[in-house]
Amino acid sequence: MEEKLHIDWLTVILYILIVIFGAINIYSANSGVEEALKLDFSKEYGKQILFIGVSAVIVFLILLTDFKFFNFSAYGIYILIIGLLMVLLATGSFNKGAQAWFKIGSFKLQPSEFAKYATALALSKFLGTFDISFEGRRNVLIALSIIGFPMLLTLLQNDTGSALVFTCFILVLFREGLSGWWLVLVMYMVTLFVLTILLPSISIIITLAVLSVLVVYLARKKQQLFWLAIIVFVSSSVYILSLDYVFARILKPHQQQRILVTLNQDVDEYYVKKSKGFSIFKFKKAEVTDKKESKRDYSYNVRQSKISIGAGRWTGNGFNNGTQTKAKLVPEQHTDFIFCTVGEEYGFLGSTLFVLVYLLLIGRVYYLAERQKNEFSRVFGYSTASILFFHFFINIGMAIGLLPVIGIPLPFMSYGGSSLISFSMLLFTFLKLDANRVNEISRLY
Amino acid sequence: MDKSRRLFILLAMLVLVGIVFIIRLFFLQIVDTSNYYKAQAYGSNDITIYPARGTIVDRYGKLMVYNDAVYDLMVVPQKAKDFDKMALCHELMLDTNEFNKRLKKASKYNPREPSVIYKNLPFHLYTRLQEVLYQYPAFYIETKIDRRYNINGAAHLLGYMGEVTEKQLEQDKYYKPGDTKGITGIEKSYEVYLRGHKGKKVVLVDKFSKTQGSFAGGKFDSLPFAGDNIISSIDLDLQVFGEKLLANKIGSIVAIEPSTGEVLSIVNSPNYDPNLLVGQRRNKNFAALLLDPIKPLFNRALKAPYPPGSTFKTIQALIGMQEGVLTPDTKYPCSGGYHMGSITVGCHAHGSPLDLKNSITKSCNAYYCFVYRSILDNPKYPSVQDAYVKWTQYLNSFGIGTLTGIDLPEESKGIVKKPSYFEREFGKNWRSSNVISMSIGQGQIGLTPLQMANMACIIGNRGYFYTPHVVRSIGDKHMVPTAFAQRHYCMVNKMYFDTVVAGMANVCIPGGTAGHTGIPGITICAKTGTAQNPHGKDHSIFIAFAPRENPQIAICVIVENGGFGADYAAPIANLMIERYLSKNRGLPSAKPDMLNRMLKANLVGSSAKDSLQSKIGD
Repeated sequence: MEEKLHIDWLTVILYILIVIFGAINIYSANSGVEEALKLDFSKEYGKQILFIGVSAVIVFLILLTDFKFFNFSAYGIYILIIGLLMVLLATGSFNKGAQAWFKIGSFKLQPSEFAKYATALALSKFLGTFDISFEGRRNVLIALSIIGFPMLLTLLQNDTGSALVFTCFILVLFREGLSGWWLVLVMYMVTLFVLTILLPSISIIITLAVLSVLVVYLARKKQQLFWLAIIVFVSSSVYILSLDYVFARILKPHQQQRILVTLNQDVDEYYVKKSKGFSIFKFKKAEVTDKKESKRDYSYNVRQSKISIGAGRWTGNGFNNGTQTKAKLVPEQHTDFIFCTVGEEYGFLGSTLFVLVYLLLIGRVYYLAERQKNEFSRVFGYSTASILFFHFFINIGMAIGLLPVIGIPLPFMSYGGSSLISFSMLLFTFLKLDANRVNEISRLY
Repeated sequence: MDKSRRLFILLAMLVLVGIVFIIRLFFLQIVDTSNYYKAQAYGSNDITIYPARGTIVDRYGKLMVYNDAVYDLMVVPQKAKDFDKMALCHELMLDTNEFNKRLKKASKYNPREPSVIYKNLPFHLYTRLQEVLYQYPAFYIETKIDRRYNINGAAHLLGYMGEVTEKQLEQDKYYKPGDTKGITGIEKSYEVYLRGHKGKKVVLVDKFSKTQGSFAGGKFDSLPFAGDNIISSIDLDLQVFGEKLLANKIGSIVAIEPSTGEVLSIVNSPNYDPNLLVGQRRNKNFAALLLDPIKPLFNRALKAPYPPGSTFKTIQALIGMQEGVLTPDTKYPCSGGYHMGSITVGCHAHGSPLDLKNSITKSCNAYYCFVYRSILDNPKYPSVQDAYVKWTQYLNSFGIGTLTGIDLPEESKGIVKKPSYFEREFGKNWRSSNVISMSIGQGQIGLTPLQMANMACIIGNRGYFYTPHVVRSIGDKHMVPTAFAQRHYCMVNKMYFDTVVAGMANVCIPGGTAGHTGIPGITICAKTGTAQNPHGKDHSIFIAFAPRENPQIAICVIVENGGFGADYAAPIANLMIERYLSKNRGLPSAKPDMLNRMLKANLVGSSAKDSLQSKIGD
């Protein structure tokens, strides 16, 4: 009996919908105002269609590949990509200050996009091989190294956004037994980070001290808690002070501003506060003389993005009719700010539907991942969903002004060959693994 | 904890993120409308399309004022960054400092709104700029209209245009910096009709201010509506004729159609060519006109109060009759003047005593001293002061001492003193003898030429006038302001006019004070006036209307330092009347010698005229 391809069609349909919707929005953001509808392959939307074609071919090849291949070659691919990243670091062609591209003809290959795929493979292989849980400290360290190494290389390329994506693997580790306290710890650190920037660090430390004393008093019979409180307080204080130092002295003014803009802070006012002893460290101020100018530059993207999304109202301006979109007022709209087009041209209803469809896709992948019978497939599925989730969360959060401007693409939507191809590979490799699970089951009967 | 349960924690995170995002989107897109409005402002650039300003034609449809396109270079200061300033200054042939100054001023007004940075681009600059302007996205050329005048006179009447001031910008949101509006004349008083409605084209601009096309499919665009054309009541031919007659003299002519109140011409001398105050040379020329000692900008016809002299006797006679202190048969003696104690009001030689009719024809001074004293000393009133107040009320009903309400700006009320003025001058119990010079229109009384012409209208109409106006109808619908269709009656009854009119009818025939100036075939009812002038020679004054029944024209002529009323004012007025009443304007005057004498008369001297011409460039 011929083996049927038990691929999850719901995921495929959602994928196709999002990719086509992406191309439509890139067209809108990309073409001129009074331009007749036509196909021009020299423009970004035209190229995106070519990338979709290439992705389709690769997807087809992946579906034809034996599922064992991925498990078998996981480390190989991982080492290959690490090698590429290192070569890039060494020779690196400069682009926007980040050494992130290989130029192949007129196309640029961005290995960091594929690094996520490779890391997902390697992590799945490692966690799948030993059937480990996170009791052994050594295994945790190895797993963290597998994630941390490409992350570090990406960070060295000045591609902070892509490097941050690797933190999403903590969700995978969480599923595989990493203590929930780690998640709590990460959230605690993020909260302290925000507070440190917004409030004088001294007052946060004093508040923490008061809370600690309170805890110690209430739990005076439990010695364990006493020491825990002390440890938490001391390490928190050190963390706060070093954060304050890093923010005030090490971060470059434009990095400071990026964070401040996200936290809804008026950059000028903030500098004034800081210079009046708000920070215990001498504040490294922007060297730009015209502060208004610099403020405009860093809040510009977010403001324009919010305006164009806000302009959509209930139903939006309709395809190819977004005035902000057509006026090309949002920088990088066809790449990282593609959601602006959705917001402006399809309005609240369209955006909400889009968010729901996207979350359905991610949720579906998580669901499929959980039903995998072997570790390798499951970890890979969780990695896939988590990577998509992180990208989705950061990208849209940034576009609607909830998160800092971190330049990472919206998978399947943003313009870019490397990104589209690598995300398609990620998703369809998992779908292939998932299809195999179904085949395995069907063979039993 | 079962590890597979952790899936639900992750899915819960998904749901949470979804809810947060959707709430945020709801806030951004639905609750907070400011983004929506910002979107309209940010990505768009409003380009004003200026409507054609209404033209002004004379009462027969002859074009007087029309439009011509001019080009202004506009800048949006906020967007004027990173451009080759030196190159642009070079193109504009403008000093960099001056350019910076203008840019700063525009920025100060509003950095986001377009302002004029170079007004009235000369045509050669305009054509060259069009080729290079794409390099300067913050700049664009706006086509505006400028006025052109078919005549080189009537400047005070038509008015001129000027740039709106900052105060006007605040008051009327229609205007934006660099716009022009009417400053005087018809241009000012009919500004709201003439200016029309501006159109707007909203274009989509990208972050480099480069036009990307029509904004929102032209949803916010609007077409300009041309201003209303105005049909003036002015008789252009008569106006030009009047200006010729008054050339090289200082003075004023106002002619009104009594049956409607329509002003036929308002001539001022000195005058200036309205074409001097358009375009690039406007500012230079305006300064020259303003500083000129002969004050060409001064609108004598509406603003200068002259003592009416003997023309005032007509009014005195009418009031006297209405008050019951005078009848057509009342006779007063004249022995070379009026004598009362130390006071003597001189008079010229004529027969004595005279009745009312002849007192007007001969213009007897003594007669009106008696009349005015009997008005003021009328026992009907408890005091002279009360009688005087009553008298001023009569004057007001004749449009004297009040605004006539003409549809031109800057009208003067003239001079009619309050009783308190005389109390200050002559003490509390001042007497009629103190103000005796007013009986013959001298002293503490002043009328504008317009008021005197209106006075002639009232007499011609036997008791009423229409508010004088220079506009017959507005726009295609020929709208007429209703205020101009309303009769204003004076306080003197119709029946008292006949005697006065009869006296006036004899003025321009031999035996009258202007006996030699009459026009054969036309019954001109008139009154001469010779206003004493402390600064020099007497002013020559003349009021008239013709024909006697159903008059078609009422006129007042004043020639400063022109001597007797009959010397200059009467001939000029009668020539005007002749010109207006003869249907064929080409016919030679019945008084060619008089016409020639008036055209050639020069009371100014050549120096003043030359100095004016030398200061004004073209």
